[in-house]
Amino acid sequence: MSAEPVAAELVERRVILPDQRIDAFHAPAIAVSARAGQVLQVLLADDEGLVVRRAFAINTVDPSTGVISVHVAGPARADALARLRVGDRAPLAGPFGRPFEVDPRTTHILLIAEGAAIGRLRLLADEALREGRQVTVLLGAQSARDVYPSTLLPDEVEYVVATVDGSLGHPGSVADLVPQYEAWADQAFAAGSPALLGKLAALSASRLTRMGVAKLGRRRGAAKVDPPGSPSARRKSFLQVVVELDVACAAATCLGCVVDGHAGLLRACREGPVFAATELSLETVA
Amino acid sequence: MGGSGEALAAPVPSVPLDLSVDLGSGLFLRNPILVASGALGYGIEAEDDLAPERIGALVTRGTTLRGRTGNPAPRMARTPAGLLNAIGLHNPGLAAVLERFAEQWARWPLPVILNLAADNVGEFAEMARRLEGVLGIAGVELNLSCPNANRGGTLFALEADSAAAVTTAVRRATALPLLVKLSPAAPDPRAVARAVADSGADAISAVNTLPGLVLAADRSRPALGAAYGGLSGPALRPIALRVVHEIATSVRIPVVAMGGVTTLSDVLDFLAVGAQAVAVGTAAIGDPGLPARLADELEDECQARGLSSHLSLIGTAQGHRPGNPSARGAEYRP
Ligand SMILES: Cc1cc2nc3c(=O)[nH]c(=O)nc-3n(C[C@H](O)[C@H](O)[C@H](O)COP(=O)(O)O)c2cc1C
Ligand code: FES
Repeated sequence: MSAEPVAAELVERRVILPDQRIDAFHAPAIAVSARAGQVLQVLLADDEGLVVRRAFAINTVDPSTGVISVHVAGPARADALARLRVGDRAPLAGPFGRPFEVDPRTTHILLIAEGAAIGRLRLLADEALREGRQVTVLLGAQSARDVYPSTLLPDEVEYVVATVDGSLGHPGSVADLVPQYEAWADQAFAAGSPALLGKLAALSASRLTRMGVAKLGRRRGAAKVDPPGSPSARRKSFLQVVVELDVACAAATCLGCVVDGHAGLLRACREGPVFAATELSLETVA
Repeated sequence: MGGSGEALAAPVPSVPLDLSVDLGSGLFLRNPILVASGALGYGIEAEDDLAPERIGALVTRGTTLRGRTGNPAPRMARTPAGLLNAIGLHNPGLAAVLERFAEQWARWPLPVILNLAADNVGEFAEMARRLEGVLGIAGVELNLSCPNANRGGTLFALEADSAAAVTTAVRRATALPLLVKLSPAAPDPRAVARAVADSGADAISAVNTLPGLVLAADRSRPALGAAYGGLSGPALRPIALRVVHEIATSVRIPVVAMGGVTTLSDVLDFLAVGAQAVAVGTAAIGDPGLPARLADELEDECQARGLSSHLSLIGTAQGHRPGNPSARGAEYRP
């Protein structure tokens, strides 16, 4: 396993929605290298002394103060981290996993998330704005109650919401909003249920045809195929997805984290958790 | 730093400590702590954290004759004090495993026990035959928590005659040290253990996981892609302790115990009910250095008690034998 755990102090806890909170740790060593898409692991033992490594999406990073925050979703019961109080220390390891890769030519990025999965994309908004890109966030939720607060996003971000029950924003699925932004966006990044990712992958695959863009010219020789998990495979793709990485050895040994790839099974902890949508067999999942 | 008075005091005579374990057919372990099957793959991937020179043995991930892609994701879910897993024997197949790892295992400072899985007796025996003359394999462990295709999918480990048939066939096929791994779901583990011992097993491993179910957060479906999974970790420990107690009082061959070991106290519990050695599974997934630390702690414990080996810790809780097997019920029996 890579990175040795560091004892990091919990400096702030904010409950943002029912069963969702943001925990901020002082962990300068991790904060300097963390990138969007990666996860942190908290190595806390339960009452029985069992350490089940839990991975949390990195939400924000401030290298100047050394503070890094994670988005925690799910009931606090059975969550050893929930018992930690502000001022306590916990062993933190990471960052783990491969990050999002934004093409240097990209000026407009679209972030598409469902519910708490926004936590896995949040840091990318900061990174992109810092690099002078324009960012639109499309968020889908069950109802207005579950919508990620806009105050947690940078002011420069355009934020568009869809709710299944129609209580806020567009009534229906967040996927319905995507076609309006396809021509605007140079690259898109998504997190959510397998069904949503499948829908988005299908939209992305048919995008150029629907937009009436033809690929001209003939390629000489076989097109170079980037190996799954390589930065170039992600950088070149229109849609990148980040899958959930929860229970984990993070060492590619337990095979508990696999996802279905076109070239065979891929380990989210080793080849992911960020993938080019074209690397995964998402259509079959949807 | 001690003062001059301490420095001059006679050193405490240190007893030479022997923690070695004989699992039969020439399989000797330097100490009684193993890594259980499925926890650290084929070991090579986790070598740095594992400290192979400080543990007794490594049992590999379950391996089948032909490669398998395993179960659909998600494959693991957290449970109170444990894990539910349905990896589904995801492995590259016996030939690929031997080609990739056997040479490295042969150079390793610890015995590697290959865990085998199959859905029929012939395939178990075929795999054992293919290990003939392969360097780097110190023994085999048969995972009998596999569905028997010829018995409508009933696990081999649930029926004494099925378990005996596999053991007999593999014993004929190989002279390698043979461990047979039993299930805590067996209605009468004592009968299965006796059948396996009578069929030529050198040792018994107990226990494997117990089937369980966890639901997705929105209760619309099971959390795991395969629906049911195997429960492991501390949640399983009292059941494992009972099964090991039953087995160890029923057979003369050594028992390698496992089920929820996270601390030295758990190791001592399993020794007390009669296990000769103890394996760490789930707890080693999150903490691959744990088995080596437990081995060190056991050594310290023996030294602190002035023991020359761990043998006197074995079976101390067997004196009180229950009148009936657990198959006759426990809590409501008059
Ligand atoms: C992720 C995982 C994979 C496992 N794979 C196997 C396997 O392939 N073959 C086998 O016989 N047991 C397998 N087991 C069972 C363990 O070896 C062990 O018997 C069981 O988990 C109880 O021990 P524990 O509570 O220490 O994990 C697996 C367990 C886990 C958690
Ligand atoms: S988390 Fe264990 S293999 Fe990826």
